[in-house]
Amino acid sequence: MSVWLFLGLLVAFSTGIRMQPLGSVVQRAILAGVLAVGLLVFLLLGAGFVTELFGVLLAAVVANLLTENYVPQRYRIALAIAVAVVFFLAAPWLLENFRLFQFSRVAIWVIVAVGLNILTGYNGQISLGHGAFVLIGAYTSAILMDDQQQLGFVDANAWPFWTTIIAAAVVCGVAGFALGIPALRLSGPYLAIATLALVISLPSILRKYDGLTGGAQGLFVKQPPPPPGLAGVLERDEWLYLLCVGVAIVMMLIAWGILRGPLGRAFVAVRDSEVAAAAMGINVARVKIAAFTISALYAGVAGSLLTQLLGVITPESVDLIVSINFLTAIVIGGLASLLGAVIGGFVLVLLPAEGPDILGNIPLFPDNFLQKAPGAIQGAVVIFVVLLMPFGVAGSYHRFIGTPPGRIIAALRSIPAGLRARLARTREDIVWAWEDSPFNRRSSKSASGEEPDP
Amino acid sequence: MIEVFLAPAPWNDPELFGEQVISGLATGSIYALVALAIVLIYRSTDVINFAQGEMAMLVTFSMWSLLLAGFPAWTVIFIGIALGFALGAFVERTIIRPVEDKPPLNVVVVTLGLFVFLNSIATWIWAQGELPKVFSTPFGFTSVDVSLARVTTHSIGILVVALIVMAVLYLLFNHTKLGLGMRATAHNPGASRLMGVNVGRMLMLGWALAGAVGAVAGMLVAPITFLFPGFMLAVLLYAFAAAVFGGLDSPPGAIVGGLFVGVAENLFGTYTPGDIFGPEMKLPLTLLVLVIVLMFRPQGLFGRVQTRRV
Repeated sequence: MSVWLFLGLLVAFSTGIRMQPLGSVVQRAILAGVLAVGLLVFLLLGAGFVTELFGVLLAAVVANLLTENYVPQRYRIALAIAVAVVFFLAAPWLLENFRLFQFSRVAIWVIVAVGLNILTGYNGQISLGHGAFVLIGAYTSAILMDDQQQLGFVDANAWPFWTTIIAAAVVCGVAGFALGIPALRLSGPYLAIATLALVISLPSILRKYDGLTGGAQGLFVKQPPPPPGLAGVLERDEWLYLLCVGVAIVMMLIAWGILRGPLGRAFVAVRDSEVAAAAMGINVARVKIAAFTISALYAGVAGSLLTQLLGVITPESVDLIVSINFLTAIVIGGLASLLGAVIGGFVLVLLPAEGPDILGNIPLFPDNFLQKAPGAIQGAVVIFVVLLMPFGVAGSYHRFIGTPPGRIIAALRSIPAGLRARLARTREDIVWAWEDSPFNRRSSKSASGEEPDP
Repeated sequence: MIEVFLAPAPWNDPELFGEQVISGLATGSIYALVALAIVLIYRSTDVINFAQGEMAMLVTFSMWSLLLAGFPAWTVIFIGIALGFALGAFVERTIIRPVEDKPPLNVVVVTLGLFVFLNSIATWIWAQGELPKVFSTPFGFTSVDVSLARVTTHSIGILVVALIVMAVLYLLFNHTKLGLGMRATAHNPGASRLMGVNVGRMLMLGWALAGAVGAVAGMLVAPITFLFPGFMLAVLLYAFAAAVFGGLDSPPGAIVGGLFVGVAENLFGTYTPGDIFGPEMKLPLTLLVLVIVLMFRPQGLFGRVQTRRV
């Protein structure tokens, strides 16, 4: 049941944010009513993804309405994160396997999107060729994990899967470094086309030199089984899901750390004005190459996970369209925003998969159209989102109803102090109430008895 | 002696070399037309139009339907060009204009969205029945002997049509007041507006011309590759390479780039040793040349160097 994961995440999300800008309590109650009617309509039309979505939105708004005036925001944020973590860990038991597979892919594309966002969103260098890095990472993993001796010169003992993730990251980091140097001379559309050339050429190269890559059939690998301690608890798909999402979270945290540090600020400074950044003492070339390297490294990790998840990798696993869609995803999600990268990852997987279902619930919509032209919905949604939200979903979120992640962190940090203060105040209140109460004979008597005394 | 060439060396078999060059020039002039369309749009609105090929594809499919309905060939050709013109203008007005003052990546993503959208629409309308569909050419496919090589009449037709289109565009830009306005807009929109040029209309016209030129390219390619919803993709990629090679803001550069890419592609496919490169590596090799050229001329062969203001 996908609805449960969505429910958890959305309730968590919405209770974690302030919704006052959406209007007064009355207005938000009206919004809840509208959503309830929508839910009813879609329930009558037949259950589906939209019904779940409406249900989730309704639950989120209601949860927010109920808690907003009574529970301080920092507790709601803590609750939100707790709920998200619980649902992430519980998902293998709540979701069907194909949903788990879908969310594993979301996690992988989120890693790519975070990497691309570092390069394009934060550092201002366009790349249409990140699919190439994903492929390089995937092949690195597949070649090292090979235990069938498909390849003559590689060690017959397969490497453990997690070492190949690191190896893929290193190989792609080096590739990104190597590409970053010529990229210094190119800007804007010229860089875009040059990176496009990379992703177009790579499949032909992989097919041609098949001694290493297995040619057009690609390479098969044994998907990693659950670790010994968890073997009885988890199936392989569930383990892969936890692996992908876990790695994605770690990569998100690393990116967050990089971006708020000196290097991240240098990225933004170089993007906004290379000349000004150089005047401030930033080594522009080094920063731009660093962005390329880190970005490619992220794509490599994602590629490695893709190999583990699919168990097979071919030159067509990541094609030109997918590669271009990475850019679409981060623009729709929101440039220069980690939240945007997450949203982009979801859009990349769920829009093509669920778009036809969503429209399929609308009566009188030509069925033929949905079967023959699923891309039409995707294209139209992309165009409309960019027209309506020029700074992406995350941009609109930050602008209108959102709390920037930094403030969430600040709120989280203040929790211990807040709790202590609350405890202290509570103790004071109790002491005060006890001393004033009629049950406390001694102190009240002594107090009242002493006062009249001269 | 080491066997370097896959085919007989050019000096042993000049006819083969001549054929490869001339057919390269023919496909190259198609790339040149699409590259020209990309350059027209890039000059006027600073956008790389990823949907250029799909716009042409839609027009070509419409022409196929018209031909099937029994319209005479020449009527269909003119309707096709008009359709391309109208589609370009419509796209600029409806979805490009609103994102023009937004972050530059937004326009790129809008054209990518349009790419996917148009491709799906064409699949929906025309994918019933068998694909690819045969698209006839008014020039025919008979082989003719020119002095050095045997080429098809269609190749010659492509060269002639491309030359006509380029001549018309040259006359339009350099010898009419409209062309002057368009050049002024591309050069400096703000000043042109102050001088009384209707800048919005010029931008729309740039897109419309690009749409028409793209449509011509589409109807020239279709007889060779046959007609299916993705048939312009390969052409578009080569055209990007050509446009960047020549410089994105230079129309003569687009033509030179297109011809170069067409000939280079053919020669790489024919003459490189098969065990290392061979025909399937001609696209990577062509793109490698492009990237090497960009290393030395980051703005393309004929592009203007962007001055940097602090």
